Formats: sequence, C-alpha cells, structure tokens
Amino acid sequence: MTLDQIAEAPTSGVRNDGSEVTVRLRVNGRDHRVTVDPRTSLLDLLREHLALTGAKKGCDHGQCGACTVHLDGRRVVSCLTPAVQASERQVTTIEGLASSDGRLHPMQQAFIDHDALQCGYCTPGQIMSAVACVQEGHADSIERIREYMSGNLCRCGAYVGIVAAIQDAAAKMRRA
Amino acid sequence: MSEMPFPDTPRVDAYDKVCGKPIFAADDARSGLLHAAFAVSTVAKGHITSLDTTAALTVRGVRLVLTHENIGEVKPRGFIMGGGYGFQSFQPMLSPAIAYRGQPIALVAADTLEAAMEAASRIEATYEQQPFSVTLDAEGTETINQADTPLKNFIPEIVVGDAEQAFATASVKIDEVYNCPVQHQNPIELIATVAAWDGDRLRIHEGTQNAEAIRHGVATALGLAPEKIEVISSFAGGGFGQKNSLQTQTVLVAIAARRTGQPVKLVVPRTGVFHDASFRPATRHRVRLGADKAGKIVAGVHEIDAQTSRHDLFPGEYAATSSRLYGFASFRGVERLVRTDVQTPGYMRAPFEHPACYAMESAIDELAYALGQDPVELRLANDTSVDSPTGLPLSSRHVAACLRRGAERFGWAQRSMAPQSMHGEDGSQIGWGVALGAYPGIMVPAIAHLKVADDGNVTISVGGHEMGQGIRTALANAVSRKLDVPLEKVSVVIGDTRVAPQHLTAGSWGTASAIPAAEDACDAMLKALADLSRTGVRGSPAEILKAAGRQSLEVEVQRKAPGQPDAIFERLRAGLPSIGGPVYGSYVTFSYIAHFVEVRVEPGTRRIRVPRVVSVADCGRVISPRTAASQVRGGVVWGIGAALREASEVDARYGGFLNADLAEYVLPVNADIGSIDVEFIDEPDKTFNSAGAKGLGEVAMTGAAAAIANAVFHATGRRVRNLPIRIEHLL
Repeated sequence: MTLDQIAEAPTSGVRNDGSEVTVRLRVNGRDHRVTVDPRTSLLDLLREHLALTGAKKGCDHGQCGACTVHLDGRRVVSCLTPAVQASERQVTTIEGLASSDGRLHPMQQAFIDHDALQCGYCTPGQIMSAVACVQEGHADSIERIREYMSGNLCRCGAYVGIVAAIQDAAAKMRRA
Repeated sequence: MSEMPFPDTPRVDAYDKVCGKPIFAADDARSGLLHAAFAVSTVAKGHITSLDTTAALTVRGVRLVLTHENIGEVKPRGFIMGGGYGFQSFQPMLSPAIAYRGQPIALVAADTLEAAMEAASRIEATYEQQPFSVTLDAEGTETINQADTPLKNFIPEIVVGDAEQAFATASVKIDEVYNCPVQHQNPIELIATVAAWDGDRLRIHEGTQNAEAIRHGVATALGLAPEKIEVISSFAGGGFGQKNSLQTQTVLVAIAARRTGQPVKLVVPRTGVFHDASFRPATRHRVRLGADKAGKIVAGVHEIDAQTSRHDLFPGEYAATSSRLYGFASFRGVERLVRTDVQTPGYMRAPFEHPACYAMESAIDELAYALGQDPVELRLANDTSVDSPTGLPLSSRHVAACLRRGAERFGWAQRSMAPQSMHGEDGSQIGWGVALGAYPGIMVPAIAHLKVADDGNVTISVGGHEMGQGIRTALANAVSRKLDVPLEKVSVVIGDTRVAPQHLTAGSWGTASAIPAAEDACDAMLKALADLSRTGVRGSPAEILKAAGRQSLEVEVQRKAPGQPDAIFERLRAGLPSIGGPVYGSYVTFSYIAHFVEVRVEPGTRRIRVPRVVSVADCGRVISPRTAASQVRGGVVWGIGAALREASEVDARYGGFLNADLAEYVLPVNADIGSIDVEFIDEPDKTFNSAGAKGLGEVAMTGAAAAIANAVFHATGRRVRNLPIRIEHLL
C-alpha cells in the first residue's frame, strides 16, 4: 500500500488529514474509536481521551512503569507505546482488572492485605506488572519476582509488601 | 482502652488505590480542558534579550502563549521560610531575568498536549548570559555564616560548653569530612496543577502537602481574596518535601485558565521536577569528636556548608539533630550557607537529619574503632535522658531499648569487630553496621470538625494531607476507637481548604498534630452526645441521635502545640508555617530509631547488596501499626538509596542537572531491597501530647545511610566519606 492509499483509507490507525488519526481499539472489553494527534501515546489516549486515568504518568520515558497496561495480554509501558500501535488490539488497564461484579482480582486484594502501597500513584502499574509477572511464570521465587518487578519504581519504598503480595496472589492465581 | 496499642487495620484508602480510581490532580479528564506546557531557559544565568513566539502561535490548537511580556501584573508571593508561600521567592516569567537553567520562560496552552508541547518547543529565545556557580566550591559563590543573619532568631546556634577546648585536650579524637550530594525527591506523581475559574472563583486541584499555602500564595500573587480560592489535594502521589509550598507553575496555570476562559491542566515533565522545584542541597560536614579513653564523649563539633540559592537563604538545621544523638558534654554547631545559581533548595525527607545523622553516626563508628569498642556499646555508654543543647529533660527517649531490641533481633552478638573478618560462602565480604537516627518532635495547630449522623456515618475534617504516609488511616483508627464506631463508618476529609485550614503537612508532625485534635473533637462529641442522651438512652452515637430525634450533630475544636499563643490560629488560617517544638519550655521531644544493616560486597564485581535490615523505632504510640511499618520500610529504602544510589549530577559547564530523569537518577528498585524487619517500642509519650504519638515518617530514614556506610567499612575496611558509595569506591 502506498502512502497516498493509506491517507485515504478509512480504517483504524491511519492518517485522515495529516494531523489526526483514528485509532480503533478494545479497552477492557469495550470497543473504542478515537481520533487523536498521531504523536499521542497510548497512555495519553487512555487518560485524556477515554478518561481511564488509572495508568499514571510518572516519567513519560518508559523509566518508571507507572503507566503499565496489558497490550494483547503482555505488559507494556503505555507512555512509550504510540496510540496507533494499539490499533485493532486489546488493552487491559487497572480499571478492567476486577471482575464485572466488582470482585477484586487476587492481586488487587493481595496488595491491600500486604499494604503493598503507600501513596498509590505507582500502584496501578505495579499491579498490572505483577499480574503479568505471574502469568509470564516469573513469580516462582522471591529473587525472580524482585528482578521482574524492577521496571516499576515505587518511591514510597513499598517493595517488601509488593513482593509478599505477589507471592500470595501467585498461589491464588495458580489455583484459580 | 486508650492505653492499649492500636490494632493492625488495613489502609483505609487502599481499595481506591488498587482500583486506580481517579484520586490525583492530573486524573481530571473533563472535556474542554486545555493542556499546558513550558518552554524553559537553556542558560544558567542572565536575562532574555528576545523571545519569539510567532512559530508557536501558528501551531494548530494553540490558545495562548504566556510570557513575561504579556503576563500582566503578578505580585510577589514570597518564600515559605521568609514569611511567604513559595518554595522560593523568585517567580519565573515576571521579568526577563534568568536565575537558573531550566527556569520556565513561556507557557503554552492548547487543545491537546501534543500541540502544547510542539508549540513550547518552537519558542525561540536569545539571552545575555552571565557567569554562574552551581557547586559548593565554585568560583563566584558566596558563603554566609547563618549566625550572622536574622535566621539566628529562629534557629538557635547549638553551643554547649567549650567544645573546641574540650576537643583539643581529648584523649581520642576523630576529625573527618563527610559529603552529601544534591538529591531530588522524585515522588512518582509529577507536579501537576488543574485550575478552573467559575466567575471570579478559582478552584485548584494539585497534589500538595500545603493546600493553604497554594490558596494564599495564589491569592497574594493575583490580588484576590483567599475566600475566592479553593484548593483540593485529597491525595498526593508522594511528596517527600518537594510539594510543601507554592510551586512555580500554579499561579501561571491559574492565569492561563483565566485568560482562555477554560480549565487548564499542566503536568510538569520529570526534567522540570529536577530543574524547577526544590531539591536536597549539597552539604559538606566536618565532624570532630573527642572522647576519654573509656569512651565517654567529651566534645562534638559539627560544621556544615550547605548550598542555597542567590535569591533565598534556605536555612540549615543540621546541628540541631546531630547534637541530640548523645549526651554530649560539650558541643558546637556551625551552619554556613553557600549561595549558588540554582532554584532554591528545600526539604527532602529528613532534610537536615539524614545528612546530619549520616555524618555524625559515621564519625561515631570511627570513634568506636579508634577506641576498640563495640559500636552498640559505645552508643549505649553515651545515652542520655537530658537534652544536651538545652539541659532540659527529654519527654521520652527509648534509644537504649531500640539498640538492645535491634541487636537481639539482628543477632549482633555474633559480629566480629575487625573489618574484613566476615565472609559469605560465595566469598563475598560481609559487613554489619549500626547507626542511630533522630528527628525533632514537632506539632502544629489544627482545627478539627467532627460530624456524626443518625445513619451511623462519622466524618472527621481536619488539617492534613495524605501522601502515602497513612494519615487518613491513623485518623480513622483514632476516631473509630474514641467513638467506638466501626472503622468503615469513618470518613476522613483532609487536604481540602473548604473543610478546615490545611497547614503544611511535613516534618513528621501530621499524626502528632491531627490525631490529638481529632481525639479532642471526639471528646467534645461524646460530651455533646451525653447531653443529648440525658433521657437515659445509651448506645452508639447514631442510636443517641435517633432517640433524640436528631439527624446529625457537629462539633469543632482547635488544638495547638504546647506553649503556642492563641494568635497561632491566625497564622494557621493565613497558610503560614506555625511550627512548635522540639523545645517546649520545660522539656524537649525527639523520635529515635536504631538501624542494623548487613551488606554483602561481591568479590569480583564489588557490587554492594543489602540483604537484611532490622530497624527499631521509638515514635511514641503507634496509631496505625500497618501503615507505620510501611513508613519505616520506606524510610529504610530511602536510606539505601541515599547510601548507595542517589545523586543529582550537577552540570558545572552549563548549569542544571545532567541526569534529570528516572533512568539516570538511580532510585532503589525492587531487586535492590532485601528483608526489612521493623519493630516499634510503642511507648506513648503523654508529655508530648494526649495521643502519645511522636513523628515517624522521617526518623525512619535517619541513620540508615550511616548504618550502611558503617557496614561497608566493616565488610571492606574502606571508610567512604562521600555519598553515594558505589562500586568504583571499593575497587
């Protein structure tokens, strides 16, 4: 497909008029069609266009992990993910983690039980990373949890609680 | 019942936090919101000679470019430590003056964040540059003895006996210099403001530790009545001192919102958090200790050179804590301030106490080795119940208990004294270190409003800001116990200028100030309920209300620090710091902690690991055990960061900081942290206040860096006197 053809195509993730693109994506099981500046990050799309503000901006450089979401089931830092890269894909954010009847995901409950948070700002990213850490099979030892959670900074220093929460939730997630 | 320890209860706001509820200022995503971005100075000092905004204004979606040329009249808002409201007195964008690299020179407001950022990048400035100095020893700095300034009226010099003379004649002497680098607080929540006007009323959402200073500072700057301004900061995503006053951007965002007629959101990028907000200044500490041959310390001299800015004197209070660690027979503190071309430095968790305890507790370890005495025994032998600088009794001091409990939990008795004498099975060098920390016991005035309703709901509204330390949980715990109502029925409204004056929350005074006020309100409520129930009805507040045919009952009380005049409440209402202590006429209050640390230094890489820490704290009564333990663990993580990781690299060539992001400014990550075992003495200090609570959030960090440095010495035989200690220092 040539650039001209892309410019004319009405489908998702392509440029409409040189300054905006339309992105079609599924977020927490719901389909969205959003017209954004092509420079928009997935994080800013979620926060500013869909009002899903659970994912946080802590650095905008992919360095702190506060913006972590799942893209097609894998964790990504949404501030370094162009929104167009998420077109036609599935995004899960912290708002989509609890079940539809309001029951918390075991990881969310474990974060409460182990006081694995203080200010709460990095918490959504920590929890999304923690769920992925278990699903990736990286939660089988304290050392591996620590290593695979080191992309998520917690300035309050809740790391001891975070590791304990992941150990606790990992066992429950395996049983589930 | 109130004499019993508090039960372990969950953090009351944890549910909202694990669900990612929109609780932070920048979570405002209302439609019609404009996004703002700054253009910043690329030079360190001088003035703007031309500012071209033409290209910026052509960017689609740009609504406003604000510069010093079109901003109109803005009045000075002052410096928080000089009777004003700002983290510094200097407000950028009011004139062509450039005081530091990274200072904002223009603000763009646009329909989208992308447009605002592009337009900001297209602003062209030319400058006339002037020579500048950004390090303690640079040419062109100016050194001021704090005792020669009016600051001596607020921060008394520490002079006990003739310490110089006692040092000169002491049998055993330590005389060393310790250096602490510039550091940045780096709460993960970026500094952010949302400002919205409704007619002539202004509402500001900002994560802050000081909503009242924002309110009054903006009112002063814009010439508005404070009653026209509401500031809401129900949650701050970490503060650590950086959010303790009016920031640069708040007034500018408010002006942009007024000018455009739309709400405006500005999220300061991480590099701006380094360059245009406060930071921990660089400090140099010369410590002299003299002791007799038995290990009795006869002299302490602590001289400090601390960085400040050209436009403000950020006061030094280092010796105020180092002099309190032991029963010094003589002591002298000398605080010097060094003017450099930076934004004004400020408060970062344990702002004076961490560097002071690092320096003094390193020196004490050196003294222990000079004497050949066990470091715990030396500390116990120099314990005191009298405040050395004032001669007054201490309201409580459980230092010996902290040391003994910590030593037991840690297994200190197994330690061999000689450096390089302990090894792991992998050949790593093992070091065990100990250090004390201390932090002044401070209280501020508070006004508490308590409402009970016939549906069982209880609402406590009081001054205080939740930034993760757990003050909301502590308040809920205290009110729940006093009124004997379920925890989940208690709502806590804080960080909101609409409900109560919001004094700065810092200095670990939050619990000691808000809890006694809340408990007083509960007492007043119980009395009011008793008056209502004279008919003989007994039971819960809701039952009493129902029986009396009342829907709700409200009381308000005010509470101040011991010895404060009633006029202090006017300062509180004016958003000015109204701090009492740690000297309270007839006694002195400090919190204390003892840290025991194991480090392992890997044989090949010389990498330093901290597999375990035991910390025992004396913070009076623990009001919220679960969040308190988290506070201490967090403080230890900060100590590990300070000892082994964190330094802001100053750019002496161009000004500013070279590692102004979260990859290059190295914070402790999960893999850096091992086991952190926390214990509390949990002895209430009823002399200090009726709740018996002393401060905790900052004492938790104090001494931790020294304990690590002392452990590194024990492991390697290397005494590193510059923080942070890194691999290259051990090669």
